[in-house]
Amino acid sequence: MTTRPMRVARWCAGALLLGTTAALAQAPATPPATSPAAPAAQEEPFWAKGRPRTDATAMRMAPVPSFPIPTAVDKLPIAKLKLPPGFRIEPWATGLLDARALREGDKGTVFVSTRFVGSKVYAVVNKGGTREVKTLIDKMQLPTGIETHNGALYVATPKQVLRYDNIESRLDAIGMPVVVYDKLPGDVPHGWKYLRIRDNKLYVPVGAPCNICEPGDSHAQILKMNLDGSGVEVVARGVRNTVGFDFDPKNGELWFTDNGRDWLSEDLPEDELNRVSAAGQHFGFPYCHQGDFTDPEFGWGKSCSNYQKPALLLGPHAAALGMTFYTGSMFPSQYQGAIFIARHGPWNRTSKYADILVAWPDGKGGIAKTEPFLTGLVENNQYLARPVDFLVQKDGSMLVSDDFNGAVYRISYSR
Amino acid sequence: MKRTALMPVLALGLALWQAMPAAAQPAAVGYAQRYAALCAACHGANGRSELPGTPHLAGQPSFYAITQLFLFREGRRENAAMTAVAKTLTDDDLRGFSELIARLPPVAPGAAAAPADASRMLQGQALAQRHLCANCHGADFSGGEQVARLAGQREEYLALTLREFKSGQRIGYTNAMNEALGGIAPEALDTLAYYLARLPAR
Repeated sequence: MTTRPMRVARWCAGALLLGTTAALAQAPATPPATSPAAPAAQEEPFWAKGRPRTDATAMRMAPVPSFPIPTAVDKLPIAKLKLPPGFRIEPWATGLLDARALREGDKGTVFVSTRFVGSKVYAVVNKGGTREVKTLIDKMQLPTGIETHNGALYVATPKQVLRYDNIESRLDAIGMPVVVYDKLPGDVPHGWKYLRIRDNKLYVPVGAPCNICEPGDSHAQILKMNLDGSGVEVVARGVRNTVGFDFDPKNGELWFTDNGRDWLSEDLPEDELNRVSAAGQHFGFPYCHQGDFTDPEFGWGKSCSNYQKPALLLGPHAAALGMTFYTGSMFPSQYQGAIFIARHGPWNRTSKYADILVAWPDGKGGIAKTEPFLTGLVENNQYLARPVDFLVQKDGSMLVSDDFNGAVYRISYSR
Repeated sequence: MKRTALMPVLALGLALWQAMPAAAQPAAVGYAQRYAALCAACHGANGRSELPGTPHLAGQPSFYAITQLFLFREGRRENAAMTAVAKTLTDDDLRGFSELIARLPPVAPGAAAAPADASRMLQGQALAQRHLCANCHGADFSGGEQVARLAGQREEYLALTLREFKSGQRIGYTNAMNEALGGIAPEALDTLAYYLARLPAR
């Protein structure tokens, strides 16, 4: 527990492998991740399976980690970002290395998670008009899934769901977490989490531990469980990797983004926006992509008609991450109930793109129309900013995280 | 060549750097002087280390260099000397030093050394192929973005580093290297280091 500038403990050997953490040395120990489907030696890394060997540029494409230095506030590309008329974007908090998921506590603390570059969870606290960043958790393996509920902060790693009670009163000494659940598979590939709590159920995805593989009964799902980790049920199957989901404020239905497989082609398949209309539906992976074509390897003998169709296609390799239904009071009425989707942008596609997209549900389970919302994130085929997740604040303004710059922006509207 | 397309982050950094007023730019000459004072004693005047166990820095991709400096500063890569140095560096310093390092021409294998043992080179090549090293480090092992240049690196440093990855003593952001070396015999690591150290720098 430190405030910035952070003090750092020594990185213990094997920390990532064992999932132990320095900041949480008192946290219950995690056994080594067992991952039957993780790449064995002499195999390619999971993300490289299927990469074309005929193209030298493609052969050098690999997932690019966040830059290890957050961008200084005066060097953020704010001036290049574009929004519809009346909207404004400004830096809200900076120095948040690898900023990923955003959640807000009852007392207004904003929690910010990270992936492997950060390996931290931050709290942004309002201190008399200025915002102070505290590092709550450090050197934890992929503490990417976070959620707040009844005064507690939930943190999900690839293996565990942890709960820090009464968090906003204990920001300087968060104490030992309660282990809510520790039977997640623990794989690193697509093992980082996204969390939501709805009607006292915790929603936890378990991504496919691969680019493309037969995931079995344990992966490529969204689970829901009671808040004490009991009563685990499968909500959705055939989900390759969802890094964003939310509930329709009108009827409580779960909608989620799903990242499509890599390396099939520059332009196929597209990422998906899906709607769960009945528990346990299958959304196609690894057999059917984007609802209309079967996988060249795993799709033989399968038919896309047996799987749920996406509500919307989100573009090839788009890396559609966070999504939220807008229910705030600040944006114009046309945005009420609209879905905001962060397109983080491709790493394994020659032509880059990234934006925040707005999709309007048609009221019949589909999408009536879409519009780019935040644009200007790519210049000369290089990223200037990459959106990850949203938080609609009490005043109706929207926070957006950007792991590329290690920053959180605020988008507001006034006529 | 392909390098530019590979380095959006660096190019962005460069663009920002160029966009800054001249007075605000971390002067390259400043970092050259600071490199001479702070780094050269161990890593060599031009990034060509003469010190056993200490790597050449010349020609390492800037993204790789800044990532290692970051990990040293965070205490996430173990080396007491480097952590002590990195803790004195600001974010701008990390950028300045890593950009300087990337501009130093890569080191060619020592000409004075005895001619490479052809059969050992073939063994090393076969090992590199079997373990798919080029998939990330490039067909010429020049690295790129966050991935290290291996070609022409000091042999004993390569051998040491491979052992650290193999044992789990060194871990990057993820355990990608630990997994990549999981199935390779310890004695084969020396052959791999022998081969990579003798590859021409490009």
